[in-house]
Amino acid sequence: MPSQTEKMGMARERITGRSLLYYLFLSLPLFAFFSSIFIGPFHINPVQLVDLMASKILGYATDYPDVYSTVIFQVRLPRLLLGMMVGASLSVSGAAFQGIFRNPLVSPYILGLSSGAAFGAALSLAFLPGVSIQYAAFFFSLLAVALTYFMATTNRSTPIVSLVLAGVIVSAVFDSLLAIIQIAVSERALQSIVFWIMGSLGTASWSKIYSAFPLFALGCTVMLLLRWRLNVLALGDEEARSVGLNPEKYKIIFIVSASLAASSAVAVAGIIGLVGLVVPHMLRMIFGPDHRTLIPLSLTFGASFLIVVDDFARAGLGFEVPVGVITTLVGAPLFAYLLRTTRSGGWE
Amino acid sequence: MKSSTYFLLAVAFCLLLAVPASYANETVLIEDDLGRSINIGSPSERVVFTMENALKTYYAVGDPDNVVALKDDKWMRRLMEDVFPVVDPNFEDKILINITGDQLGLESLAKVDPDLVVLWASSPDDPNILAINDTLKVPVFAIYVTSLDDVYRQVDTMGIISGNTDRASEVKEIMEGYVELTTNVTDQIQESDRPGVFWMWTDIYGTAGVDSGINDLIDMAGGNNVMKLAEEEAQNLEHPVINQETLIKLNPDVIYMWYNEDLDPEDIINGEDFQGLRDINAVKNRRVYEISNPYLFDAFSPRMPLALLHVARDLHHDKFQDVDMNQTIDQYNVDIWGVHYPSMVKA
Repeated sequence: MPSQTEKMGMARERITGRSLLYYLFLSLPLFAFFSSIFIGPFHINPVQLVDLMASKILGYATDYPDVYSTVIFQVRLPRLLLGMMVGASLSVSGAAFQGIFRNPLVSPYILGLSSGAAFGAALSLAFLPGVSIQYAAFFFSLLAVALTYFMATTNRSTPIVSLVLAGVIVSAVFDSLLAIIQIAVSERALQSIVFWIMGSLGTASWSKIYSAFPLFALGCTVMLLLRWRLNVLALGDEEARSVGLNPEKYKIIFIVSASLAASSAVAVAGIIGLVGLVVPHMLRMIFGPDHRTLIPLSLTFGASFLIVVDDFARAGLGFEVPVGVITTLVGAPLFAYLLRTTRSGGWE
Repeated sequence: MKSSTYFLLAVAFCLLLAVPASYANETVLIEDDLGRSINIGSPSERVVFTMENALKTYYAVGDPDNVVALKDDKWMRRLMEDVFPVVDPNFEDKILINITGDQLGLESLAKVDPDLVVLWASSPDDPNILAINDTLKVPVFAIYVTSLDDVYRQVDTMGIISGNTDRASEVKEIMEGYVELTTNVTDQIQESDRPGVFWMWTDIYGTAGVDSGINDLIDMAGGNNVMKLAEEEAQNLEHPVINQETLIKLNPDVIYMWYNEDLDPEDIINGEDFQGLRDINAVKNRRVYEISNPYLFDAFSPRMPLALLHVARDLHHDKFQDVDMNQTIDQYNVDIWGVHYPSMVKA
């Protein structure tokens, strides 16, 4: 039997180990970014690549071919940054939604966001060529969430079960509308719609980053700043009220913030599955259910997870594989392993 | 009865047997593009066409009255049907078969009582083939064109379906003659003078693999498909989708866009979303071209020789500067369908 002192020592070691792991996970995006920037179908010597990046930052001239600079700063860098932004958005939104809904099966798409976005993108691709796919997807994703929320709200109260059911209904309506568009369009437009729905970072550009970043930043900042309140919301409405928290007010704040972040991600990258569901779960299994750590870790681990997976999508084979396909193929077995090695998936 | 009466009755009987025999449909066994053997009447007299390029081939060789119905296709209809109303005076009155997604309306098909349905399919288990065979018991000819040889084979097939094999041979000869107008020039081009070409389908980074009809078209037009330099697993796909970085690595001299409603060559050269392509030869030298009319320059239809000439002229403008494209297009349409283009006046 270990003595009291030994027990305290072991507990301290565990805490220290977990703290180390916490900081390691927080710094993951740096490792992921600096390993991914070297990976790509266009081979650039790592030394030259570092030199080029340094020259850009420090402002000195180099005599490398122009194409090196283009590949790094116009192709690889925007794709990595967009991937980090999308991964972070989906993961943080997923963690927030899972907390609000007190349900492990919830993803950022629970309120009809993805169905609305897919419908908006399809509408733009099929019938509104003058309207940007990105803006149409964004508008309809938020419209879907708003419809879900208002459908579920009665007597100034929004029960979780009603929200989930309303989300199912709104998703079904938008899925049906999408099906009508798919039936009506030409084969060429149908192909574009299907590719968009699969989700990809293949068309990343600075303009996409500039347009999506403000909403991503706004949504994620709000969730980061208010993250401890998710712990209270996760206890239930009655418990939240008993500690002086207005659950309706914070539910709206989190739903709006998470929807803004996730919509901005979906609008630029299509529907990338499983990230918003699996990443928060993985973290919960490792670090426990406390949202004070879960939200920042979701931000960093989600960003890292997506760009590492995208490394394979863009450079693993000779052709581009939609990253949404690989997130599922990679995420599912990893998730299954953690599920089998932890109790209750980290919810206890 | 007198012997002369017997004689007359015998002659009448023979005539009765003989007359229908001379007009009756011959039943022939043919193989469709998927290798399925089907029995059809030659000529088939109530044919439903659900694809425009096969109909274009049929109208070049067969009797338009034998076409009873078409697919209700709305995309760029006027462009798609350009010569059809002139070739077939009853074209506007053809029955349209409704289509939901990819599924043909079986009831509207049944209503026209076809003796042959011609449709696009990539597998013998195509749901439309199975449904039509199971319910209507009508032979289905599957079209699946993946190479330029398939285009010539389609002409032969339409000759059998229409019972007009002589005209089919004639059409093939005309096509081959026009192809030679191009290949006689491009065959002389040295390997080092052949530009690397990236074929850009409407999904932008989707292109033509090495084992594709477009690859053959690029070769015949005096170019080299840059996918020959890509990773093996990508080049062997019929329609590989690559990414921007791979395209930069392949560094094509020419980007050839299939007709794209949302993009123009100028977008690729100067567009904000394509800044990453600014250092490839095709963009630096402004050698980005587009197939402006997907039906006039359809490489998988009898107009393949025009598509070939269109591409070859862009790849080697100096070698084709004496070719009057408008006149060639007009003459080709006259030779194949007897219609002037673009005036659409019967020749």
